[in-house]
Amino acid sequence: MDNATYASLTRQSGLRTEMQVIAHNIANSATTGFQKEGLIFSEVISAHEDADTSLSMATANARMIDRSQGQMTNTGGLFDLALEGDGYFMVQTPEGNQLTRSGVFYPDANGFLSATDGSPVLDEGQAPIFVPPGVRDISIGRDGSISANGQPVGRIGVFEPVNPELMGRAGGVRLTLDGDAVPIQDTGMVQGFLESSNVDPVLEVARMIEVQRAYERGRDLMSKEDERIRGVIQTLGQ
Amino acid sequence: MRALKIAATGMSAQQMRVEVISNNLANMSTTAYNTRRAEFSDLHYQQLQRPGSINASDGTVVPTGVQLGLGVKPSSVSVHLSQGSLTETNGDLDLAIEGPGYLEVTMPDGAPAYTRDGGLKRSAEGQIVTSEGFPIAPDIAIPDDARSISINADGEIYAYFTDQVEAELLGQFTLVGFSNARGLEALGGNLFRETEASGPGNVAAPGTDGLGTLRQGYLENSSVDAVREVTELIEAQRGYELNAKVITAADQMMASTSQIR
Repeated sequence: MDNATYASLTRQSGLRTEMQVIAHNIANSATTGFQKEGLIFSEVISAHEDADTSLSMATANARMIDRSQGQMTNTGGLFDLALEGDGYFMVQTPEGNQLTRSGVFYPDANGFLSATDGSPVLDEGQAPIFVPPGVRDISIGRDGSISANGQPVGRIGVFEPVNPELMGRAGGVRLTLDGDAVPIQDTGMVQGFLESSNVDPVLEVARMIEVQRAYERGRDLMSKEDERIRGVIQTLGQ
Repeated sequence: MRALKIAATGMSAQQMRVEVISNNLANMSTTAYNTRRAEFSDLHYQQLQRPGSINASDGTVVPTGVQLGLGVKPSSVSVHLSQGSLTETNGDLDLAIEGPGYLEVTMPDGAPAYTRDGGLKRSAEGQIVTSEGFPIAPDIAIPDDARSISINADGEIYAYFTDQVEAELLGQFTLVGFSNARGLEALGGNLFRETEASGPGNVAAPGTDGLGTLRQGYLENSSVDAVREVTELIEAQRGYELNAKVITAADQMMASTSQIR
């Protein structure tokens, strides 16, 4: 009999989850290469066979990654790379190859190009890239090819997952792969730039206000429902 | 309410960014200082609904699942190795390194340290030392009666004497190159120490092995770009405020929960 409360309860807990997603997006508004996370709510309908009414509840059951382009920030770093267009860099980790758009790379102690946590960055053939140490003149072309003193030494791969909707989050601005990823060619690489997080603070704050107000509305509805039932009991008791 | 804690990670990240920026700005006139930048990465994700889990008895699988992020953490403070501009000082022991490479300094405990600060001095014994008095390796001593000294691009140091026409070769500076110079550990006082990440130092004469050359009478300026730092500072401050807003909103939501009854 308390369906109104239960229905709004699912919405309330959903709103709290959404608030968490917004907080995570805002917390990562300065994270290089971070792609905004979104949550999709859908209806779960429970209908009783005999009843002619149905009750729908909301549940968060899907998420999405906003793959829009982030802003480019000039850093002047030799191995700072930003991607212009779709696709990801691929790095080798103990948990398998992962994708990232954060292009903060440098050669490690052995000369292999690696990400900040030491995971090697992979070329088109998914092999680590060796950069000869002590070379002064390194340039990275739009297509990802690295040249040291004018000599080509390798080409950084840009990959697109076969099933982008199956990508998971791994922390460390990494996305896990489910299935394979294929190299793509149209995406440009810009040396000396980094891609900022694609979180739009205005949009997030607007969503945050929306969530907060919706939460308050839900609270009001619950209070009203509580009063109504109390009124019913009082009236019936007289 | 996890949003509170997530926003707190965001605030501390932005605070760290401000700290790194203020250190850069404080070192705007430090000889051969390289800009540092705080890098962040997202934290662990909580699996609410695993992608690929079975949704119904007919084998329908959840395509994307629900993963909730738990905030942000600092991942590294990276050093931006870039050549600073050179200032003419006319000091005969002022050296600027043009290109990669570090001067090797012998610390009081005998361990090597590395620096790009070429503002060298002469000790009472004629030894070439850093501003803090640590000797430069290889050890080169300048005789007391030397009238002037000259250092060429290859690091060879010549002394001129009043009673002699020919200059006398006293020794040669060497430079040390690292395959990953960003991995050096900063000790303060413009000094760095070798680490696992930097790899072992490769000692060679200036101008060889991809190392830079020396220029006497110049010092390398700090590579801090004030305009860039200030724009970053504005961004960091706004980011901090935004995260604080999330905390307020989460707090109000919690307060309104307790008002239901």
